[in-house]
Amino acid sequence: MTRILFSDKLDNCVAKWRSAGLTVIGPVQGESLSSYATVEKGTDLHLGLVLPDRSLKELFFPQTEPMLSYTIKKNEIETADFTPPSAPRIIFGARPCDASGLAIDDPLFGWDYKDEYWFQRRNESVIVTIACTKADDFCLCTSLKLAPDSTKGSDVLLRSLDKNRGWLVEELTDRGREAFAIISEYLQEGSEPALPTVEVPEKFNLDTCVTWLQNPENFDSKFWKEISMRCIGCASCTYLCPTCHCFDIQDEGDTYSGIRRKNWDSCSFALFTMHTSGHNPRSTQSARWRQRIMHKFNYFPGKFSVNSCSGCGRCSRQCPVDMGITETLQEISKL
Amino acid sequence: MITQEKYRTTVKELLANGTIKMAIGYRPGSTSDRRRPLFIRTSEEADQLVLDSTCITNLSGYLVTEGLLSDEKQVGIFLRPEGIRSINILAAEYQLNVDQIIIFGFDSTGREVRALQGQTTGDFSALLSEIRENPPLTTKEPLLERIEKMNAKERFDFWQQEFSRCIKCYACRQACPMCYCRRCIVDSNQPQWVNTSSHTLGNFEWNVVRAFHLSGRCVQCGNCDRACPVNIPLRLINQRMANEVVDGFDHFAGLSPTQEPVLASFKKDDTETFIL
Repeated sequence: MTRILFSDKLDNCVAKWRSAGLTVIGPVQGESLSSYATVEKGTDLHLGLVLPDRSLKELFFPQTEPMLSYTIKKNEIETADFTPPSAPRIIFGARPCDASGLAIDDPLFGWDYKDEYWFQRRNESVIVTIACTKADDFCLCTSLKLAPDSTKGSDVLLRSLDKNRGWLVEELTDRGREAFAIISEYLQEGSEPALPTVEVPEKFNLDTCVTWLQNPENFDSKFWKEISMRCIGCASCTYLCPTCHCFDIQDEGDTYSGIRRKNWDSCSFALFTMHTSGHNPRSTQSARWRQRIMHKFNYFPGKFSVNSCSGCGRCSRQCPVDMGITETLQEISKL
Repeated sequence: MITQEKYRTTVKELLANGTIKMAIGYRPGSTSDRRRPLFIRTSEEADQLVLDSTCITNLSGYLVTEGLLSDEKQVGIFLRPEGIRSINILAAEYQLNVDQIIIFGFDSTGREVRALQGQTTGDFSALLSEIRENPPLTTKEPLLERIEKMNAKERFDFWQQEFSRCIKCYACRQACPMCYCRRCIVDSNQPQWVNTSSHTLGNFEWNVVRAFHLSGRCVQCGNCDRACPVNIPLRLINQRMANEVVDGFDHFAGLSPTQEPVLASFKKDDTETFIL
């Protein structure tokens, strides 16, 4: 027997989670942008979005984050660490691609150095994902061997019932079970069929692409220049990406006091690889775009055995010149 | 369709007889309402050319791609009137030689697209003067009028709210034909003039610096506004500054390739006692 969460109980659940000390976060359509944001009521959630404009990544890896403050005095230097405040939270209505993105980045943030900012937030967050029943032209999870109902990175997976009546509940982890134990009074036992997940057509053969990328001869292929000729070198693809994780560390302040911050950075920028000497090993936009693709589908899987792309499609959806991972891998699979 | 076919033929002819080495235009995008920049070097590539009312992007920024014009060969480019103004400004700022540019001008009303007569920037001077006298309706946007009515505090709050979404991806800069600096001030880190952080101060610094830098140079093509992945209405800032420059200096940017840049020129008989 499966348990069902009916939509009309969502307000009660949000209230219950909040009274248990959890911040409730979910997809919200703002006036001009949608994102994952804190809500006070279940009715504030916009669960009908294909996916929010902004990814879930930024709740774990904010675009700017203070790391420490420093004050230099006559005989001493005082520093104070910033660590993220303890804030247990539940993210209700994540999309499978966004939840997968977090799982993809876990090994990266825990590899040679355990990033305490990332893991504190990971450990304090319950991810409740809703399987997708609709997609748009840019969704490509199936091309990445994921699916509209992938459980990767999720603590609970919900499958929608028809007419927005509610969801079948699949608890996947202890963290998910604990969170749903809090609202167990609002769950009903039942065995209704869920709506089928959306069919997301496969846009390219990933294995073919990876084989091509792994061939060292193709590193210098003229393909890279052709495909990226119109790339204008902004960072919107990397900043909206649920898995891109590069950052820069900057001191803001003066000689005597300031704050050291961790800010998003992007391989799309020339400055990203600029040496002090003025030499830039990735001096052209085509070299930078090649790096992004190689990193996601060759270097990252080489190190962590997983592709650094969860198929959300934001890179293509938002690109000012209509580029993106989809087009590039489609073209590679034709080579 | 007729305009598109005519232009395909023209481009093929000019490529075949060696007049141009490349034409920059549009091709179909990943969905039916999207267009992509297209670089035409062969007759087959010319067949991909699309010209319709959805060809919006101002392509002139591609002309200052490093090395493109250094061989002194000619390049063709599809431009709306505001794109032609961009070319004039780039020429006035010594970024390109207009003699190397063959303009394939077009404009659209509703879904109808029509060719503009001419090939060099000079051919369009009457058209640009006409636009100066009768600016398109976009200069009177309701939201802009609403902002104009705000007091300083309300306006500050409005922009603070809008800029709070800024992720500093610099898509506005990269999409802008006027942002051709080899090294933008935000990329200068010794010293770090502008904070890289996307906190309130950092976002204000970036967006306000950019607004001032574009004053008297922006042609309201809307590239920045459309490129912004977090939908900040950037066009409004630049539109406001453009209006200001027209009112204060009687300067409508991009009228000709020899027009003096309004904020980068100096006159001995300037009546102002203070020069910023």
